Amino acid sequence: MAQATAAETHAHQHHGPQGILKYVWSTDHKIIAMQYLFTGMFMGAVGGLMAYVFRMQLAFPGISVPGYGVVSPGEYNSLVTSHGSIMIFWVAMPVLIAAFGNYLIPLMIGADDMVFPRVNRLSYQVFLVSAILILASQFVGGGAFGGAWTSYPPLSANAEYNLTPAGATLWLLAVALEFVAFLLGGINFIVTLMNSRAPGMKAYDIPLVAWMIVIASILFMLSVGPLIAGAVMLLFDQTLGTGFYDPARGGDPILWQHLFWFFGHPEVYVVLLPAIGIVIEIVATFARKKLFGYKIMLYTAVATGVLSFFVWAHHQFIAGIDPRMANVFTVTTLLISVPIAELLFVIIATLYGGSITFTTPMLWALAFIAEFLIGGVTGIFLGASGSDIYLHDTYFVLAHFHYTFFPIAIIGAFAALTYWFPKMFGRMMSERLGKIHFWGTVIPFNFIFIPLFVLGLAGHHRRIYNFNNFPELVPYRYLDVMATAALIVMLLFQIPFFWNLLHSIRKGPAAGRNPWRSNTLEWTTDSPPPHGNWPVDELPKVYRGPYEYAHPDRAEDYWPQNLPS
Amino acid sequence: MQKPIATTRSATGIPTGRLAIWWVLASEVVIFGGLLASYLMFRLGHPEWANAAAVTNTWIGAFNTFVLLSSSFTAVLAHQAAENGDGKLAAKYLMMTIAGAVTFLGVKSFEWYSEISHGYTITTNGFWSFYYTAAGLHAAHVLAGAVIMLFIAADAAKGKELQRVEYIGIYWHFVDVVWIFLFPLLYIAK
Amino acid sequence: MSQHTEHKGERHGSHHPNYKAIYFTLLALLVVSVVGPFFGILWVTLITAFGIALVKANLVVQNFMHLRWEKRIMKWMLATSLVLMFLLFAGVAPDVMRHEGARWVNDAALAAVERGIAAPHHEGEAAAGEASGGAVTEAAAAAAAPGEQAFDAKGAFTTVCSTCHGTTGAGDGPGAGALNPKPANFGSGAFWEGKTDEELVKAIREGGASVGKSALMPAWGGLYNDAQAKALLAYIKTFKK
Repeated sequence: MAQATAAETHAHQHHGPQGILKYVWSTDHKIIAMQYLFTGMFMGAVGGLMAYVFRMQLAFPGISVPGYGVVSPGEYNSLVTSHGSIMIFWVAMPVLIAAFGNYLIPLMIGADDMVFPRVNRLSYQVFLVSAILILASQFVGGGAFGGAWTSYPPLSANAEYNLTPAGATLWLLAVALEFVAFLLGGINFIVTLMNSRAPGMKAYDIPLVAWMIVIASILFMLSVGPLIAGAVMLLFDQTLGTGFYDPARGGDPILWQHLFWFFGHPEVYVVLLPAIGIVIEIVATFARKKLFGYKIMLYTAVATGVLSFFVWAHHQFIAGIDPRMANVFTVTTLLISVPIAELLFVIIATLYGGSITFTTPMLWALAFIAEFLIGGVTGIFLGASGSDIYLHDTYFVLAHFHYTFFPIAIIGAFAALTYWFPKMFGRMMSERLGKIHFWGTVIPFNFIFIPLFVLGLAGHHRRIYNFNNFPELVPYRYLDVMATAALIVMLLFQIPFFWNLLHSIRKGPAAGRNPWRSNTLEWTTDSPPPHGNWPVDELPKVYRGPYEYAHPDRAEDYWPQNLPS
Repeated sequence: MQKPIATTRSATGIPTGRLAIWWVLASEVVIFGGLLASYLMFRLGHPEWANAAAVTNTWIGAFNTFVLLSSSFTAVLAHQAAENGDGKLAAKYLMMTIAGAVTFLGVKSFEWYSEISHGYTITTNGFWSFYYTAAGLHAAHVLAGAVIMLFIAADAAKGKELQRVEYIGIYWHFVDVVWIFLFPLLYIAK
Repeated sequence: MSQHTEHKGERHGSHHPNYKAIYFTLLALLVVSVVGPFFGILWVTLITAFGIALVKANLVVQNFMHLRWEKRIMKWMLATSLVLMFLLFAGVAPDVMRHEGARWVNDAALAAVERGIAAPHHEGEAAAGEASGGAVTEAAAAAAAPGEQAFDAKGAFTTVCSTCHGTTGAGDGPGAGALNPKPANFGSGAFWEGKTDEELVKAIREGGASVGKSALMPAWGGLYNDAQAKALLAYIKTFKK
């Protein structure tokens, strides 16, 4: 730390704003990353508590939920809509892409900041406004939007159907602003990665997590355009009385479905690829082994991204699309499982023969693989249009996407956080608390969602407020109670995490520069890195790839990228 | 704020600012593309919209096309001047481009005022909904571009950040290209 | 600044198109595209309108934006975004552009095409002729014109109202199970006691809360104008025992 102070007083060193205003006006990518991280974690807590409320209603219909009260049908719809929207747009994306992208990309490529620091700051400010809007929508007359995160018209367009007109418009504006924030941020990431690499760092020397975040940003940028256009049309339908989606006025609600899912499907890979990138970094470090196939991973990730544009209508199999179109989308959907499985196989192959240490980050990374695999294979049943006819809109779908999203957004986030915590805060987290948190999260997670697969097959439909109205499902109601109980246990086990986080930030043991003995450039500077990341005349040069672990020519089992030999 | 060293590097050989503006354009292509593709689907499926489209004034549309094409011309001349290091001349050409933008927006306001007072509003029918939405989104981009161009012209006049003249020019040409397609879609196809 | 002068020689050494020539070409093409429709031949119009638009756009992109001399990676990215737009069109048009498919029909769209839109009048009549097309929705206009297309009150009740009110208006529709209070029972005398027609039409158009009843009865005024709501009321009265 003394070194950092000396560096900071160096004449050419960058100077950021000082004091509390530092956090409001800073353009330092690391501070902006923290802002995204903590906002995302806060929103995650909000989304998780919403899940608690509606799961209590599902398990014990009509109950006065402790801490909330009785859940009315309209409120139920608002809760599930907000839960879904918040988790995807205000938790998964900001944490995986904005927070870790901002933090890691300049550090991993040996740059002193992003290329457009002020645009970076603007992107967070726009994002913050969007978060405030979606939170504010919870309190407006009529309540938060209750038309599901997919916001299909005519429900979402007509106040007399959704009964939450103010909430509906606020939701749309919040989502639109979030899109703008990520477009701004994405351009920063892409241009920085393309142009600002350290001397000697060729394309194949870039750590894969940086590639993944940039590929994700490109995917996002290319897929969100039509939805932005569609959202403007929906906004006009809601507020001006146009009929873009109203058949009686010459419009077509199916158009919205297509525009939404043209984005909605690539979106899931937008969040998946960064999570896989995070897992790759952790696995290479804690297996002390070179990544099985760097180029395979890179090209497969690109192929996944390209293919992801060709599968969207599998969300619309029973919307009335032409069955011949459904055939095409079935084939493409089943095809896309191949490159994704490939990505997991390469990670598993990297583990094989490695010298594995089960640190907390490694446990999270391994859990990602196991849980995401379940999510992936259950997707096959949904991608085949025949079986989807039965399974669409049931809890089977819900369990499938939680077995994919939860590993991505929650397991991936905890993996990244526990892995890079020492770099971000200069201290180590408690391994003991970390492991308690890990097992207390992953085991209950399975007890929440395995029952939901069963319930889905039995006929539980999505977005139903009270299953007591379905007598044929009564024998299965105990599964609803089990899932809710597991959720409560899982939420309680987040307490050790928050304690660990806050306590370690202040009182954890000093981490040093490279506690994990990893190769990538972020570990060559102080923990936490100073403003400008390295002293101005000591920006790193790169001599090799990022995964040179256990190299035969070397005594040490790792070989940092910046060492000349 | 001091510019980071990261901004000065260029592993691709493309200057950072220009690379960024190309990515902005890529995202704008899919936004306008989504809107125009949707319009096209409806227009081709509803031949009766020809009667609604018949109301738009082709001469006003053509004049606005002329204005935007000319403003693209002055924008590229500004770029040429900036390349030669002549910031003052570049700023002058940029101001002409902005004048073109203001003219375009002025003509559009007059056009819309006339159409609305004759009862053709955004809710009249599907054609008019798309007409106002597409042209409106485009006009918003014209306005935003003109404002940013004003700041860049101010810098250029002082000889500062001359490379940005090229970048705002690229954005401006894109706005022109969108109109090049909007013109036949909304004014000629009747 | 230094990066700017470095590239000055590098890229534009021999890559300076004649901007003036391109500009005048663009203007000439504009004239052609405006003149094209006057021939009245569809193919000529299409080529002069859209074909020329493509040519003009290409001229601007290649020469004013200098894409011709740009690095390949950016040409690929821009081409990709264009290709995606064609993909979007190809995947969506079968559902949105067409109005019937293997097992579906879009009645509303077919009806709109049938109905057509009135050709515009000349300036003087424009205000009067088009005013009716302005504020009122097409569907409502069709329904309000007597004799042209009569409003099917029974059909509307069955489609929209019976979900809660039941097909015989007894307040026993499938959606009624989850509602509290239950929807009105139009068969019972008690319901009709003391209620005026105006009040009931208001309840239909402005929702239950507007007449002091439950907000669970939505406001249907956006779908049904006054005449239609009255027609609905007339139909509902047939449930009275």
